[in-house]
Amino acid sequence: MAYCVRCGVKLPSGAKTCPLCGTEVQLPPGMEETPSELLFAKRLPPEGTRGITKARKGLVELIIALFVVSEITVGVSLIFSGALAYMFIPLFCIAMATVSLVSIVLAKPRYVNNASWQSLIVALLLLGLDGADFTWSWSLIATGGIIMFWMYWVFPWIKWTQKHVKSGIALGIVSTLCYLGLINLVVSGALTWFMPVAIPTLLALLVGTLLFLFWFANRKGNRIPIADIVLGTMVVFFSASAVFDGSLTYYKTEIFSLRWASSLLVAAIVILLFMVAVSFSLRLRRYFTSHNRHD
Amino acid sequence: MKRIQNYAPEGFIALDNSALIYPPTEAVFNANTFRVSMDFSFTIKKVILEQALHDLLYRCSYAKIRLHTGFFWYYLSPNDAEPVVHEEGSYPSGRFAFKENNGYLFKVLYSEHRIALECFHALTDGSGAMSYLKLLVERYCHHAGLLQAKFSSGLDYKVRPTKQEFSDPFQHLYDKRVPSYPTISKAYHRKGDGPFDDLVKVISATIPTDQIKKKAKQRSLTIGEYLSTIYLYTLQLLQQKEIPNQKQRKPIRLSVPMNLRRIFGYDTMRNFTLFAVVGIEPALGFYEFDEIATEVHLQMVQAQSKKRLLSQIKRNVSGERTPAIRFAPIAFKNPLFKLLSDFLGDDQYSGVISNLGYVAFPPQLEDKVVRCDFHLSPGLLNKISLAVIGCLDKIVVNFNSFYTTDTELERLFCTFLVEDGIQVEIATNREDKR
Repeated sequence: MAYCVRCGVKLPSGAKTCPLCGTEVQLPPGMEETPSELLFAKRLPPEGTRGITKARKGLVELIIALFVVSEITVGVSLIFSGALAYMFIPLFCIAMATVSLVSIVLAKPRYVNNASWQSLIVALLLLGLDGADFTWSWSLIATGGIIMFWMYWVFPWIKWTQKHVKSGIALGIVSTLCYLGLINLVVSGALTWFMPVAIPTLLALLVGTLLFLFWFANRKGNRIPIADIVLGTMVVFFSASAVFDGSLTYYKTEIFSLRWASSLLVAAIVILLFMVAVSFSLRLRRYFTSHNRHD
Repeated sequence: MKRIQNYAPEGFIALDNSALIYPPTEAVFNANTFRVSMDFSFTIKKVILEQALHDLLYRCSYAKIRLHTGFFWYYLSPNDAEPVVHEEGSYPSGRFAFKENNGYLFKVLYSEHRIALECFHALTDGSGAMSYLKLLVERYCHHAGLLQAKFSSGLDYKVRPTKQEFSDPFQHLYDKRVPSYPTISKAYHRKGDGPFDDLVKVISATIPTDQIKKKAKQRSLTIGEYLSTIYLYTLQLLQQKEIPNQKQRKPIRLSVPMNLRRIFGYDTMRNFTLFAVVGIEPALGFYEFDEIATEVHLQMVQAQSKKRLLSQIKRNVSGERTPAIRFAPIAFKNPLFKLLSDFLGDDQYSGVISNLGYVAFPPQLEDKVVRCDFHLSPGLLNKISLAVIGCLDKIVVNFNSFYTTDTELERLFCTFLVEDGIQVEIATNREDKR
């Protein structure tokens, strides 16, 4: 029978470590102990009973109880006020609010989980409200918007996306195209401005962004040049705006020209020249930098 | 809904006042179960144990019940299904699977040398379960042809069950003139290190009774008070490490279940337990062991005062009798009970130490008994519970824990005993590198 040298407790015969502190049992050479009977006879594989905790269960039940009461109250009051035609909307809203609250309590407290569930629930709520008469119009655009929100603000935080960055970016671009196509379809009933306006604009934005990223990835040193980033972003934004204006003008008038984007471009060129000057001229930069002014 | 007098196992049987909280709060990390067991030198045979179980249910017909969810309350009703005898697994006091147990609120388990009884708390408390186990062992010995053993305390197989055995004494002792027991502030809850899951990991410390009795007597304490003092002292050390700022230290309190049968003279087989809350205020400064011992002794004496107990009973029963609670559908009561059990129960203490006392064996059985065990399911806030039981010449302290690797509390507790000159023998169901 061995004792733990750290805790001083008597250990079960044959134990290799102390269950209290993990200290290894040191037996004299040649002395072997036969393992004693285990505290619990049968070794079962660990199988934790899955489920939710008491407090969470309580909150879910409370939400469901409140849901039942509010559904009954609102339902009965609508029946007595004769507003049967509008009954679906408040009852459906209460149901979706309940689902939303329950999902907050039940989902793992992670941004991705909560944001995904809430996006899904809001999308269903909008589709349900719009589709009370089994026809859907505005809710399709709103749902597309929610999907876009998910693609840009939730999708990048998913493990898969972080592993497959390129595929993630491709999916983001495709989904943006689909969303624009959907808006075009819902508003005009066919793909009208999507091909001549949306595609060139997006293409310009994409090419500009890629060039910018290429430059950023191949910059010298690890410094993050704020002025250059602002400059690059402006170039991309103004070029995309110019393409948008140009393609929109062509789509409407069938003439290649710039309208509002020309003034935008003039302003952009002025800012661009100024920033280039600031980037290259130390004297100019000193003029704007207070702590260097009196050197 | 009419409340039928609850001594007969027929029709609608109301839960006793203490049991009301257990079914709604049952969840993962809150199993509300406990296990009592006896180890023998002879081999346990399943067939004989099944016979003994039938005898037990024949004598204690009020235990042949199942739990139902009513519109207003959970309630019990007679259960005619066959009772099941289970083989013992590696983890005690887990969540109760009622379906696998044919609806019964207790479970009989066996291994090569052990007979165990695991109960859902809505059926009875530790003392009640021990009475069931004693009768089960008696009947097992009878059917096995071993010997005619009869425990000095417990149920008599040949005597018909009395009304009092299945009565709810809380209802009898309720006095509406008594003021309600005051609620107390939140207590310290140990954060613990490392992961945890809902499997109950046990570290069992076996201590010679004469040694611990001597040490407790030196300080004019009972064994239960002595162990509670060590527990508080250990928690104080852990809190000191966790919260360096003295002012921020919350009170450390223990919940100590008290068997009210002896105090009020009832022989019920249902829950008849209240909790003494003993503790210290580490914000006032570090407590030496003897200071804690004085506090614990005084607080335990105070807690056992009949007047204070009646005040607690008044608080608990008046809650049940409030019309707003009584006539509220169960769907409303359940969440309320769950949240209240945290805010008014687990929040108020830092640990549980349940002492089942000494189990006296009949002389014919003494040389055949190896040990007794008592396990209590821990909770999410207090992830370690202590269950104490004495038999023969030893006392078994079982640390039931949800922590996967953290055994710091157990280590400090046992080291204190060793340093105090008491021999401690350890056993565990934790994964050992054997």
